[in-house]
Amino acid sequence: MSLDLSLFEYEFMQRALISALVVGLCAPAVGVFLVQKRLALIGDGLGHIAITGVAIGFLTGTAPMWTTLATTVAASIVMELLRSHSKTSGDVALAMMFYGGIAGGVYLTGIASDKGVANLHQFLFGSLLTAGWTEVWAIAAGGAAVAGLMLVLRPWMSAICADEQYARVAGLPVAGLNLLLLMTTAVTVSVSMRAVGLLLVSALLVIPVVTVQQFTRSLRATMFGGMAAGLLIAGAGVTASAVQDVPPGATIVLIGVACFVATAAAASLVRRARRTWRRHPPPTGEPLEVEIPTKA
Amino acid sequence: MPVIATRGATVSYGGRAVVRGADLDVEPGEAVALMGANGSGKSTLVKAIVGLVPLASGSIELFGTPQRRFRAWRRVGYVPQRTGAASGVPATATEVVSQGRLAHRLLGLPSRRADRDAVGHSLAEVGLADHAHCAVDTLSGGQQQRVLIARALATEPEILIMDEPTVGVDAETQAALAAVIADRVDAGCAVLLVTHELGPLTDRLDRAVVLADGAVVHDGSPPRPVGEHADPAHEHMHPHPSPHPHPEPDAALPRLPFERPNDEPADDTWGVQ
Repeated sequence: MSLDLSLFEYEFMQRALISALVVGLCAPAVGVFLVQKRLALIGDGLGHIAITGVAIGFLTGTAPMWTTLATTVAASIVMELLRSHSKTSGDVALAMMFYGGIAGGVYLTGIASDKGVANLHQFLFGSLLTAGWTEVWAIAAGGAAVAGLMLVLRPWMSAICADEQYARVAGLPVAGLNLLLLMTTAVTVSVSMRAVGLLLVSALLVIPVVTVQQFTRSLRATMFGGMAAGLLIAGAGVTASAVQDVPPGATIVLIGVACFVATAAAASLVRRARRTWRRHPPPTGEPLEVEIPTKA
Repeated sequence: MPVIATRGATVSYGGRAVVRGADLDVEPGEAVALMGANGSGKSTLVKAIVGLVPLASGSIELFGTPQRRFRAWRRVGYVPQRTGAASGVPATATEVVSQGRLAHRLLGLPSRRADRDAVGHSLAEVGLADHAHCAVDTLSGGQQQRVLIARALATEPEILIMDEPTVGVDAETQAALAAVIADRVDAGCAVLLVTHELGPLTDRLDRAVVLADGAVVHDGSPPRPVGEHADPAHEHMHPHPSPHPHPEPDAALPRLPFERPNDEPADDTWGVQ
């Protein structure tokens, strides 16, 4: 343990840890709604588009974070318009984002060849050597905004994600909330790229949520549990990455996958044990809980 | 002023008219059934009324306001036609029913006591007070349907629009729901019920509108079950008696003995020589 703690005396490690923890906290807050809406792959789609954004940053010499943010937010708006107004299925739109995003990124990086491909790698899989404190504070501000919005809007977001048709009849601003969900996903992707990398960012949106939902009964518990799990996974991943000197994206995602597999196994064992211990089978059919008025 | 008034409502999917010139009125406090066979366009008409499918022609007014400009959705309780209340993430019955209060809440503000009371009361009304904190995906199909009805009740609507609320629900639950709906009708809530069968829910109706092939073919007193269908114990099964319940063996055909004679070896059973 002493080794782990001494690592964080380095300032770059403090920055890496802060940005990873912010991401671990805010990604599941958005991810819970994406999982609920069965849009879990959208994070991957925006992550691929973001590669183009990073390359635009290389090309123009601006900080990649801002060009990525602009590109992904623009892509999320286009995506939502396509989803709601055209006959193109979500699958096709997503496929176009996957191919177009990577191809655009590699092409533009090729044009800006001098500071090219080696640099791109750290955005794909994350890096401990983040830029200065200003960028870390930008990440923290973006993450806090995302987590705060999702916490405050939880009932509304959950309504449009669980049953969009009902939400429309209830008069909720469904189009605006859908757009907001995709835009916050775009912000999450942009602030996550330093810590987990663009190819792996979707894992932090999804893994903490599906890990805790094996034990939870409510959306509220799933959301808070997912945020806590994300925080732990991201923190442990950054530490392991520093100890072993590998990209943090890889360690964070591997720890996440291990957590998911372990909890899935534990959950199935618990279920089996409950079935065995309960000697009698559960009652079949549904008892009537309402008193039927007797007709004269 | 009618709660719902459609005039010549026409809905088409890809050029094919599914609802053709339907006129439908629901007065305040009135309970109306929208009936018809599968594919007659009754669900589509209801989806047009709540704005989920666009009209090709005609007009729809809700509470005297053209539907496109209607914003007071808190006056409408809607139970969609679907199987199950579960989604990709666990949610408790309370959380699902709370969605019914969002029309009353300002975006981003926490729920008030009145919201929580309405949610608890609606759950109790459908008999799920004990299941308030159960995950909806662990509830039975009938219970999930009741959660969706409680969600519509929690809106405290002036009209309750229900699209096939009892499909695949056991008879007792149907009767229980009939009691809940009768209570709301007595309290002055209008009801528009889409159904394709007569059942406990249709006992309290004031009127039935029957659609066939997208057009209104009947608007008046609800059809009454006749003959054996009127018997409360009538099962919806139609066993067709066979003309020959116990066919006699035909003496003209050769009979094959299936018992093996004791003296014959087993190999020769099939007589293949």
